[in-house]
Amino acid sequence: MENIKLNETPVRTSRNFNINNIKLENIVIPENLEEFKNVTISEIGSKITIGSNVDKFNLTYGLGEFFTNQVNNNSNYKANIVVDSKTNKEVKVEFKLDSNNSNLADNIEITANESTKATIILKYESDKDVVGYHNGVIRAKAKENAVLNIVIVNLLNELSNNFISIENNFEENSKINYYIIDFGGKNSITNYFSNIIGENADNKLNTIYLGKDNQLFDLNYIGELYGKKSNIDIEVQGALTDNAKKHFKGTIDFKKGCKKATGNENENCILLSESAKSLALPMLLCSEEEVEGNHSSSAGKIGEKELFYIMSRGFEIKEAMKLMVRAKFNKILENIKNEDLRIQILEEIDKRLD
Amino acid sequence: MSKTKIEEINRNIYDIKNKDEYDFKIKKGLTKEIIEEISKQKNDPDWMRDFRLKALETYNKLELPTWGPDISELNMDEIATYVKPKTKLNNSWDDVPDDIKDTFDKLGIPEAEKSSLAGVGAQYDSEVVYHSMKQELISQGVVYTDMETAVREYEDLVKSHFMRCVPVNDHKFVALHGAVWSGGSFVYVPKGVKVDIPLQSYFRLNSPESGQFEHTLIIVDEGASLHFIEGCSAPKYNKVNLHAGCVELYVKKNAYLRYSTIENWSKNMLNLNTKKAIVEEGGQVDWVTGSFGSKISMLYPMSILNGKGAKTEYTGISFAGKGQNLDNGFKVIHNAPNTSSVVNAKSISKNGGKCTYRSLVRITENAKNSKSSVSCESLMLDDFSISDTIPVNDIRTDEVEFSHEAKIGKISDKTIFYLMSRGLSEDDAKAMIVRGFAYPISKELPVEYAVEMNNLINLELEGAIG
Repeated sequence: MENIKLNETPVRTSRNFNINNIKLENIVIPENLEEFKNVTISEIGSKITIGSNVDKFNLTYGLGEFFTNQVNNNSNYKANIVVDSKTNKEVKVEFKLDSNNSNLADNIEITANESTKATIILKYESDKDVVGYHNGVIRAKAKENAVLNIVIVNLLNELSNNFISIENNFEENSKINYYIIDFGGKNSITNYFSNIIGENADNKLNTIYLGKDNQLFDLNYIGELYGKKSNIDIEVQGALTDNAKKHFKGTIDFKKGCKKATGNENENCILLSESAKSLALPMLLCSEEEVEGNHSSSAGKIGEKELFYIMSRGFEIKEAMKLMVRAKFNKILENIKNEDLRIQILEEIDKRLD
Repeated sequence: MSKTKIEEINRNIYDIKNKDEYDFKIKKGLTKEIIEEISKQKNDPDWMRDFRLKALETYNKLELPTWGPDISELNMDEIATYVKPKTKLNNSWDDVPDDIKDTFDKLGIPEAEKSSLAGVGAQYDSEVVYHSMKQELISQGVVYTDMETAVREYEDLVKSHFMRCVPVNDHKFVALHGAVWSGGSFVYVPKGVKVDIPLQSYFRLNSPESGQFEHTLIIVDEGASLHFIEGCSAPKYNKVNLHAGCVELYVKKNAYLRYSTIENWSKNMLNLNTKKAIVEEGGQVDWVTGSFGSKISMLYPMSILNGKGAKTEYTGISFAGKGQNLDNGFKVIHNAPNTSSVVNAKSISKNGGKCTYRSLVRITENAKNSKSSVSCESLMLDDFSISDTIPVNDIRTDEVEFSHEAKIGKISDKTIFYLMSRGLSEDDAKAMIVRGFAYPISKELPVEYAVEMNNLINLELEGAIG
């Protein structure tokens, strides 16, 4: 049982605002991790390889020293995914936490070589009664003109804890598009960092989260723009019900020299109960003149007019609310081309809002 | 192509230095003995002396902020916290010593008093040297006096409000203020009285290596209204000066208060000021702030909306030039149903200056049907300045409408093109855009302050930006 402080923002603000980091109490951290065996990998062609040799790494941010070190030194699943396909190939890696594999510390490195394309799906689930622990590090690199789509789906149960650190590097004209579906975990804590160095590089991060009961989501997204004409778009759509809580910390940092760079950040939280809580810190940091940065953030319940309209079409209030949430999420979900996965996510939304 | 130059603020008037003459200057540093000496000099009642000593204890316990600008150059052992000017409190400018009167003349205070103010207070270093108010307000029961007089003559009212809105343990510089405060203004507007013409207090710090710690306490009683203006400036010295004032505003049921500030401290000033308002049912407080001076500023006025239907608006602009780090913003706590807040913040960074907008909007569980709308815009005028936006939005209930928008960028080429297509020269188009950027703030200021602000944002056009 440990009390831990993690996921520090890149710039601090007043301690009284309770957002510079997150403090978690009574977290069970497993010490000896046995090999994680419950992994399924979809069929892959010759243009994408998955090896198990992963180098040691340093993270610019990450959740905190402990979590980085655990994956560096005691990871129980390693994958080195190298993309050489010129057309968009898909790879799906599914982790299922069960009674024999309840702890996962995965170390995943993804490299898209020059002018390649791929979609990598990483899905995390757990059996109903398993008290699971997931601490993962995902490092992605897109070389010149490469396009990477990375889909992360967290459907862990509410007894488990989910910790993810992500770091992305961009070469010239490269693109990395993320779709993060963050539904599971008693605590789901994510640190996301994009180091956008390449000229004309582009990063799109699309997240949907859905919290119920006493779930806590702490999302710390950081995009640093160095490359000329580079871009980052962060789109976060979420809904909270019961006593669920969300902390969104989004930073777009225009570094000196990133002329003509652009950055947009939009965060919207639907509050479905009077005790759900939304805390947000959408930061824009700027050391370059010739840029355009925008952020917007909003929170509140579903508009009464919209609800009334749907209910006037014969839907009950619960169904109407589900429809509204699905509609909000759909803009992001429709980019997930894997239909089975998309259907599963939609079913999961319905189940969680029942 | 040459660049449009947007001038640094012309500080000629503000930089007039008078000889460092005083009746009494406390030795530098911060000890129990020094606090006792200040208290003795000010002839404090026992409760106030004890209050100061307790605040000093709190100051010693609290840490410096772990966020915001670096203020490590501040060494309290090098700051004199009390400087008594060589004059008493006067109610006629003729009785104010010539050099001090001359300074306020140049700042335009007596002239403004004649033309557009209902009352004026003028503080020089640590003490108020002039205070006066129109007879008609006195007869309506309005009180506008220096804080020292208020402590003596309105003791019960002061005792029940002094540092209750801003408690001494709020942060380290509030505790410092509680220990060494001196000067400032006290205003009480009785129930139902509408003060149509503004009152103004002007704070001038002349003495080098010293601090100004004025306390402003305003109570606007039920159904009453007031516009209060605060101005501040100081000449520039080589070593740091410190300003840690405190403003406490009590806006009672259905009352209205507008609090306008033009802050133009010198660029060796650390401005670590604290301002808060508590607003009761149906009341409204509006803040209008222009922040141009200081080397470092950390200033976040706060509205606590405690009564049903209470409202607040914040309209502010910061202009950071060479060597300035202006970390300003606004905080609002919605603590009752049907409350509303509107924030409109702007900043301009140039010549290596840094502007930060830092804020908090908290809508608590009690604040059903509340609304909050925040808009921030930052303009970068060169590629070696910095502009940051660090807002925290803490929403704790569902029956709310909350939205926040922020933009950072340079002057838009499209807008310049549009204006040029309407017949303006490129230079005129750019000048119009910068003035237009500041207009939503300047239009909220009294006219003479709007003129001053436009002068502060003085454009010298020599070609094209960018």
